[in-house]
Amino acid sequence: MTADRPDGAMLLAEARRTLLETLLPLLPADRRYDGLMIANAMAIAARELAEQGRGARDMLAELMALLPPPDASDVSQTPPPELLTHLEAHLAHDIRGGLYDADDDRRAAVARYLLTATRARLRLSNPKLVAE
Amino acid sequence: MTAGALADPAAQQRLCRFIATAARAGNATLASVAPLRGGAIQENWAVDVEIDGGRHSGTQALVLRTDAPTRVAASHNRAQEFALLRAAMAAGVAVPEALWLCTDAAVLGRPFYLMRRMPGVAAGHRVVKELPPGTARDALAERLGSELARIHAISPQTIADLAPDQSFAFLGEPSKSPALDRVRLYRTYLDDLGIGRPVLEWGLRWLELNAPGVDAVTLVHQDFRTGNYLVDGQRLTAILDWEFSAWGDPISDIGWFCAKCWRFGSNDREAGGIASRAPFYRAYEAASGRKIDPAAVHYWEVAAHIRWAVIALQQAARHLSGEELSLELALTGRIVPELELEILGLLGMGRRTGRVA
Repeated sequence: MTADRPDGAMLLAEARRTLLETLLPLLPADRRYDGLMIANAMAIAARELAEQGRGARDMLAELMALLPPPDASDVSQTPPPELLTHLEAHLAHDIRGGLYDADDDRRAAVARYLLTATRARLRLSNPKLVAE
Repeated sequence: MTAGALADPAAQQRLCRFIATAARAGNATLASVAPLRGGAIQENWAVDVEIDGGRHSGTQALVLRTDAPTRVAASHNRAQEFALLRAAMAAGVAVPEALWLCTDAAVLGRPFYLMRRMPGVAAGHRVVKELPPGTARDALAERLGSELARIHAISPQTIADLAPDQSFAFLGEPSKSPALDRVRLYRTYLDDLGIGRPVLEWGLRWLELNAPGVDAVTLVHQDFRTGNYLVDGQRLTAILDWEFSAWGDPISDIGWFCAKCWRFGSNDREAGGIASRAPFYRAYEAASGRKIDPAAVHYWEVAAHIRWAVIALQQAARHLSGEELSLELALTGRIVPELELEILGLLGMGRRTGRVA
């Protein structure tokens, strides 16, 4: 089915513009922060819509290369966001257990992943901090 | 307590009776009641009371502080906070005078206490922006340094003498390794949330392997930062929010105060977004007689970002569970990656060119 236009992303963008340009100036000073929070939430949601999970898939690919291969059936049957959560929990557990304490290639690879993942998250929640 | 509870005339009458009795006055009447914003954990109300008779006779501008619907783990209850305020005032710390504590739920449904309402602005983003540049900023940083030294002069040995009518058993026994205790605590919080965050675990492992020794265990405020003190014009009037105070490593408060996450965007002013570190450190060292070790402060700044990230995850969980729906709590969950980037930067990873761990 062809998506009707304006699509959800376009509606969200216009709703946010209306909030910021039309409604925000009308809000009393003590509610202005609420208006800004709503605009911020809408901006995050818009970026997530536009990105379509690319960051999470990149993180997943890097994690799969880093960790022992999970059970093949797990990989095929688990949706990517859940698999990412599962593998990140695995990595978190191994870091806590000291598996990456030694100054070697594995530690360097984990360090690279941590930066990749953090930047991928920031591109959604606060892209100013990862602007090139 | 809801707005309705204090708007209810019967509740107001019970509050007035409580105040009159506590103040040893003939009568007390409410002139005004208004909710105060700020504080994701407690509810604060500005209360003006006409007191007739006794030592407090006249119009009193007060703050009534009670629990919000949900509590954050490890925060003190109102009776404990009341005791801490009493001890801090006796130690010469600028705090609002804590007047009367009510633990009888029959009055307002929850424990609460009343303290004097101090003038000034607390909101961090306003404090960092509205101070004029130059000496006023350095003077405030110096004042904060000496206030913090006064807090750190309170020890397990001296606290009972500061407020003999209060119990401080809730503070527990001082730990021999406050740093490792924190690591254990934050891991427990993450486990309770059921969240695996590799960056936070990376930071926690670093904290575990690099825990500093501690020269002296003192009272630490544990939330001593811009946003939690009042500035009236250019003058500090009160240190607020004592609900996390504990025995600990005094340098942890310095790390929390200077951590980038509490500079409210004024990142080049490393002492709480208001000034450079120099005046803050100088006044603290002069008043405490303790030399500040920059490496120890760095350690506690890493810990500060991890702590704030864990609290942010807890706040988001309060929203996600449905127990306290709030856009502010929900968005707080999305600041965690910023804190994680800073943790990695402090450990020498990423774009920051700092010390390499």
